[in-house]
Amino acid sequence: MLALQVLINGILLGGLYGLMALGMSLIWGVMNIVNIAHGALIMLGAYLTFWLFTLWGWDPFVSLPVTIALLFVYGYCLQRYLLNLIVRAQLFLTLLITFGVEVVMVNLVRVAWSSDLRQVTPAYAGAHFKVGGITVPYVRLWVFLTTVILSVTFLLILEKTRLGRAIRATSEELRAARLAGIPVAHIYAITFGLGAALAGAAGGLWGMLFPITPIMGGGLTLKSFVVAVLGGLGTMMGAIVGGLVLGIAESFSATYLGPTYPNAISFGLLVLILIVRPTGLVGRRGSA
Amino acid sequence: MRRRALWHSGLVAMLIGIGIGAGPALAADEIVLGSAISQTGKYAREGKFYVDAYTLAVDAINKAGGVKVGGKPYKLVLKLYDDQSDPNLSVRLFTRLVTSDKVNFLLGPYSSGITIPASSVSEKYEVPMVQGGGASGKIFDRGYKYIFGTLPKAEFYFQAAIEAAAKREPRVQTAALLYSNEAFDRSVAEGARQWLKEQRIDKVYDEEYQPATQDFTSILAVLKSKNPDLVLLAGHEENSLNFIRQAQAADVSPKMMVFTVGPPTGDFRKTLGKAAEYIYGITPWLPDMEIGGEIFKSAREFAKQFQDRFGYEADYHVASGAADVLVYKFAIEKAGVLEPKKVRDALATLDVETLYGRVKFEASGQIAMGQVLVQIQDGKLVPVYAFGKTLGKAVYPMPAWGQRK
Amino acid sequence: MKTRWAPVAAGVVVLAVLAAAPAALSPFLVQFLINLFMLAALAESWNIIGGFTGYASFGNVAFFGVGAYATGILLTRAAWPLALALPAGGAVAMLFAGLIGMPILRLKGHYFAIATLGVAETMREIVYNLEITGAGTGLVMPISRSPIPFFYLMLGILVAATLVNRWLSASRFGYGLIAIREDEDAAAAMGINTPLYKTLAFALSGAFAGLAGGVFADWITFIDPDGVFKVSTTIQMIIMAVFGGMGTVVGPLLGAVVLASISELLSTQLVSLAELFNGLVVILVVLFMPKGLAEFIRKREFSVRQLVRNLREYRV
Repeated sequence: MLALQVLINGILLGGLYGLMALGMSLIWGVMNIVNIAHGALIMLGAYLTFWLFTLWGWDPFVSLPVTIALLFVYGYCLQRYLLNLIVRAQLFLTLLITFGVEVVMVNLVRVAWSSDLRQVTPAYAGAHFKVGGITVPYVRLWVFLTTVILSVTFLLILEKTRLGRAIRATSEELRAARLAGIPVAHIYAITFGLGAALAGAAGGLWGMLFPITPIMGGGLTLKSFVVAVLGGLGTMMGAIVGGLVLGIAESFSATYLGPTYPNAISFGLLVLILIVRPTGLVGRRGSA
Repeated sequence: MRRRALWHSGLVAMLIGIGIGAGPALAADEIVLGSAISQTGKYAREGKFYVDAYTLAVDAINKAGGVKVGGKPYKLVLKLYDDQSDPNLSVRLFTRLVTSDKVNFLLGPYSSGITIPASSVSEKYEVPMVQGGGASGKIFDRGYKYIFGTLPKAEFYFQAAIEAAAKREPRVQTAALLYSNEAFDRSVAEGARQWLKEQRIDKVYDEEYQPATQDFTSILAVLKSKNPDLVLLAGHEENSLNFIRQAQAADVSPKMMVFTVGPPTGDFRKTLGKAAEYIYGITPWLPDMEIGGEIFKSAREFAKQFQDRFGYEADYHVASGAADVLVYKFAIEKAGVLEPKKVRDALATLDVETLYGRVKFEASGQIAMGQVLVQIQDGKLVPVYAFGKTLGKAVYPMPAWGQRK
Repeated sequence: MKTRWAPVAAGVVVLAVLAAAPAALSPFLVQFLINLFMLAALAESWNIIGGFTGYASFGNVAFFGVGAYATGILLTRAAWPLALALPAGGAVAMLFAGLIGMPILRLKGHYFAIATLGVAETMREIVYNLEITGAGTGLVMPISRSPIPFFYLMLGILVAATLVNRWLSASRFGYGLIAIREDEDAAAAMGINTPLYKTLAFALSGAFAGLAGGVFADWITFIDPDGVFKVSTTIQMIIMAVFGGMGTVVGPLLGAVVLASISELLSTQLVSLAELFNGLVVILVVLFMPKGLAEFIRKREFSVRQLVRNLREYRV
């Protein structure tokens, strides 16, 4: 019975991890940019959800589309006017600049909104239902369902729409894409915008479960790495699979080994996977 | 070649500028109390209590004529930095306070985890530090001479709670111990294990968690399956808040839940609302205790002044912080001079009644003071148990979440 | 490469002045300089693997932390004197770097960077959980009264790290590293034992970071996992090296001097502002001067035009 509860807990949270990593995997896969500021985008999404809830009473699920739209615009501009400038630079320079962006974002938020803990607590926050001995909090279930909807929607966009095709073309064969008339700078910006929008959505959902602070992003960036690498960089399905795997692994290790283990395990997993199978669980060999 | 010389002289000028600009001007007739306190970061909530407490105490003392040294009245001045809840930054800031700002004396930071390294600085430079934010015995068992603390020993925090639990009808049989991987909480846990054994309560769960933990669901799942009568949580306020919320969502309701930090604080009760009901907390100080002294005639008067000025209820953190400033007044006046060593000696032999109670430091530098077990009832703190005596009626067992009004 | 005497002479003079200085300076300046020497030493140590070998490690703070804890444990639990604990700490860090380098240096680019980041985070979590390292509470060293020994120690480590960089710039081993950076396959084809060279470079890098960590532990008298395994420490190392000029001998040192000074000036006012400044510096440096100050010094010109050219160089 305990094991089943632990499994359910892991799956519910794992879905959210997957959504978090989806955005990072997309940006990495298409533009080869490892976005260290990813967690900061999640944090921004969380704060937006918080302010919409606190100032105007918008239910966090209802305000999610707004958060997604705003983060998309922000991400688009960030890529178009800043990151597009260093796209062809050495890899570690792009890593470095996103570090800088992260520090700037976090500190601006700190100055603007202080480091006080924020929490989004709608009236239904503590409600739960029981199914055969398993307790499931409503919010966690709805968060999970939302991540499923968002992930599926995103995958459909990528597979079925013209925009999605353009994005995939740009990522696979840049020169051919250019020759085909695809406006690369614009597509890159849209891609980053989508990644940021996904991160923002994940942030809004995260904010319903956990406290919001300016520095919440750092750990989430690392978690997203683990998930993205675990699943296989650049593969969207991989992010989702990786998220579930990590969520379940954390849940079980916290319960049966002790609460101080989950983090060590996730980072250890990261290093191990990179050494043993860098393409991840789902990725194809040779695409590293 | 000329450009390079420009570079070099620029660098040198910058270095000189730093070297020179780093010395303050000390005004006469002023005693500067310096501290780095957590105004941002994970301890920001608690840190604010100390900033406000220090401020109120300093202003009250100055209004009452300041501190008399050798017959001359001196004004107290505060110099505060923000340590961002980071012990490393704290060490740097305290070093700066002593070496660069050249303050007279030091007030402590919040949390044992930060006080342990910060007190190394005060010891190194032989400047007294009086702190009211760190309770771990580890602060005081290094043989340091310059650190004094007004919080009673962490190892004793859960003693009253566990004794009270053993006296309940029906008796508490099993307990879960949960604590943060930090100095204070580990000390509390060490003591708790001893008290549980003494009271013959079965420990069914004993786990440490990372301070940054926000997700207690796995822990709660285990607690649900083990179903302990008593849950003891040692962590800081953020942890307590998260734990309660998630316990509510996971439908975990033990018969008795005690937190080290949270319940005595008005902010905690306000944030949680109804969810805070029936939780127990621990405090060495309550505003309606019959205590008082110079500057603040009674605990009640102090609490009122504080509430009027800052708009929130004073708790024991606040009282402890104010007491720290007060003891400097008494110690300095007793010593008659501002020399750190003499003031240190005066502190060591101090025995005085204050708004916080009787302040007398043991040989280790830590105060010896009893704790009161309180329960939140109707949003208010009700003293339930202390010093082997039952003080009030507790609601026991705690009603399950679903059965609350 | 012909040795230019003017800068060397200037360096020796500055060194002599510094070495004679400590007792005469304000305690605050001594603290500042010790911190500066440490950052410069870290930047120089990063330069070995990042600048010369071209393997941009984002986890070098792991070696700093390992050195700090190794030295700290020997000082507190085994009561060793610093004279023994410090070299031991550096040796542990070096060994650790070598061992972890063997599997990790097989990765390239982003994967290598992330793996090194993962190593640093894993070390932090491990240290957080062990009793011998004091877990979350950290370690408190015995108090020492004077910062002067630390001044000399840190200066010594900085000088040693810089000299190693100098040696690399003119030795066969160093040329081998540069060859690996420029074209690893060609280097291997030429007969260079690339895994060995890379691992040695990583170990050297780790050794100096570890030594700096050991001195830091005893100087600050307190270390905890969050303090000595900070990601921002690695970023500081990197940005100082980049700002001064990666792959050059004194670039990292120069970068450290300039950036640390400005950061210190800012942090006397508002600590949040200092961090914001650090972040902006990173962005601006990557955009406008990725080749660092050294490029400008070498070309003997510092023009806006060059800055704009750098800005355009890597765009879409």
